[in-house]
Amino acid sequence: MLSRRNVFLGLGALTLAGGSTIAYRLLRNNEPPAPPTTDSKGNLLWRNWSGIQHSYPQTRWAPQSIDELATKISSQAGPLRAVGAGHSFTPLVPTDGTLVSLDAITGLISHDAEQLTALVNAGTRLGDLGPALASIGQEMPNLPDINKQSLAGALGTATHGTGRACKAIHGEVKSFQLVTAQGDVIDCSRTANPEVFHAARVNLGAFGIVTQIELQNQAIKRVHKKTWVATIEDAITQWPTLIQEHRNVEFYAVPFTGLASIIAINETDLPVKPRGPDLDTEGLMELKRLRDLFGYSSALRRKIAFAAMSELPPEESIDEGWKLLSNERPVRFNEMEFHFPIENQLAALQEVLIAIEANRPDVFFPIEVRVIEQDDAWLSPFNRGVTGSVAVHAYYQDDYQFFFELIEPIFRKYGGRPHWGKLNSLGASDFATLYPRWRDALQVRAQLDPQGRFLNDYLKRVLQ
Amino acid sequence: MRRSCVYLLIAAIASGCNSSTSPPNSVAVAQASTVEPSDERLATLYRQSCKACHAIPNGPAPLVQDRSQWDARWNKGMPALLQSTINGLNGMPPGGQCFSCNAKDYEALIRFLAGQT
Repeated sequence: MLSRRNVFLGLGALTLAGGSTIAYRLLRNNEPPAPPTTDSKGNLLWRNWSGIQHSYPQTRWAPQSIDELATKISSQAGPLRAVGAGHSFTPLVPTDGTLVSLDAITGLISHDAEQLTALVNAGTRLGDLGPALASIGQEMPNLPDINKQSLAGALGTATHGTGRACKAIHGEVKSFQLVTAQGDVIDCSRTANPEVFHAARVNLGAFGIVTQIELQNQAIKRVHKKTWVATIEDAITQWPTLIQEHRNVEFYAVPFTGLASIIAINETDLPVKPRGPDLDTEGLMELKRLRDLFGYSSALRRKIAFAAMSELPPEESIDEGWKLLSNERPVRFNEMEFHFPIENQLAALQEVLIAIEANRPDVFFPIEVRVIEQDDAWLSPFNRGVTGSVAVHAYYQDDYQFFFELIEPIFRKYGGRPHWGKLNSLGASDFATLYPRWRDALQVRAQLDPQGRFLNDYLKRVLQ
Repeated sequence: MRRSCVYLLIAAIASGCNSSTSPPNSVAVAQASTVEPSDERLATLYRQSCKACHAIPNGPAPLVQDRSQWDARWNKGMPALLQSTINGLNGMPPGGQCFSCNAKDYEALIRFLAGQT
């Protein structure tokens, strides 16, 4: 996504002029077919954020306490699937059994001011955790692009931000508590149940229900966020330097424009300069409009976009990190993101860009390029070294099958591991070759959940 | 192609992108960050799921209890609003991301948001 205000305002200003019949004909509004809101048994529809996954759970269960969860979990209908914010694109959540929400198990429990750690209920949304930690002088060292996820959901899918020295969220977990399918409550850390700790920090919600998480935080800091436009060629050339020079840095390569938006965040003592109202959405929809109107001519589309965007001035804001690292993303989309050995990242990006511009003029979403520090969780996509990620998006109303046909073969050719919550077609045998501790992790999972009560159809394909 | 020609080309054929949503009511804007359902459970659901989008003046979602933005929607009837809420529509994510909500919760939250309490 484009974490950039005003990048496309030039384009936006140009397209404010009145509605032509040509535009009316060309502009698309194809709301995907909606499933019935209830099934034949009267069970209410559950759908993920983008709308491509759905199910009709017979029970929606929001336990009011960990005691209630532990006491009653063994009697709930399976499959038991925990849901956070429903932001996963892979079918991790669908169940016709019990949908478990931790929305009542939220908030900060305790903290250690000296060690800069905090114990947090796992249902807490990242967006709520920022101000809660700020109130005790702490912050998470990094945050993902979106902060609507629950902490447990972010952990379970190896959700990450960007930064050469910044681990994914699970990389900063010191310990966690897990409730098993039998109702046992297990504390896990590097010294207590270490096998479970290593296997289930990234857990897909398949090892149990994570209820409490101890985070290693840092003292809250003010950061300076700067966003500027460059050519894609320059962004690629500068990337190895950028990731060394900035605490957090990413870029968005915009197909059919030749341009990229680079976002860098660094610590500062400069006075606060708050971010303004969200205009990213407007910029993104201008890219859609450009696609709708000029998708028939890549050359014209590129010239128009370049003229409107290439000379936009940089944008800067200064504030506490939790206010600037994550963004509002009201435009829904589907996504495929793979994680590569850093030396393969840019080659994968360049090949994907060529493939999209040669084959998919319908694509208008920027391609997101990030970097993540290594950690040692067994199912972490980042456990083999510094990792570069590349993410391709499709508007939620648009076709995304090209992810599998066009993009995934490229990503796999470069040794990519898929983001656990984002679209991919890999199965158990694929993951077994990508993860050295795969079988160890599955063994731990089977011991914790011998009856497979946490496995839905998708997870049976992936984890058995 | 010179830039001026590009601008003229776009101006000639581009679509309008003015929002059809009315500007927010000043009273609704003033109370947006503090107003909550009186029922404690519903207030919790509102804070967790609805408030992040519906309490932002000039945001993409209709502002909480701003009748100038809600009345046209309310006139579609509760079944239509419930359908849009549960399935999602445009920027509105399915279920409003409230997965512990049941159908009655959704109805009550819609009624509250629309200022029909």
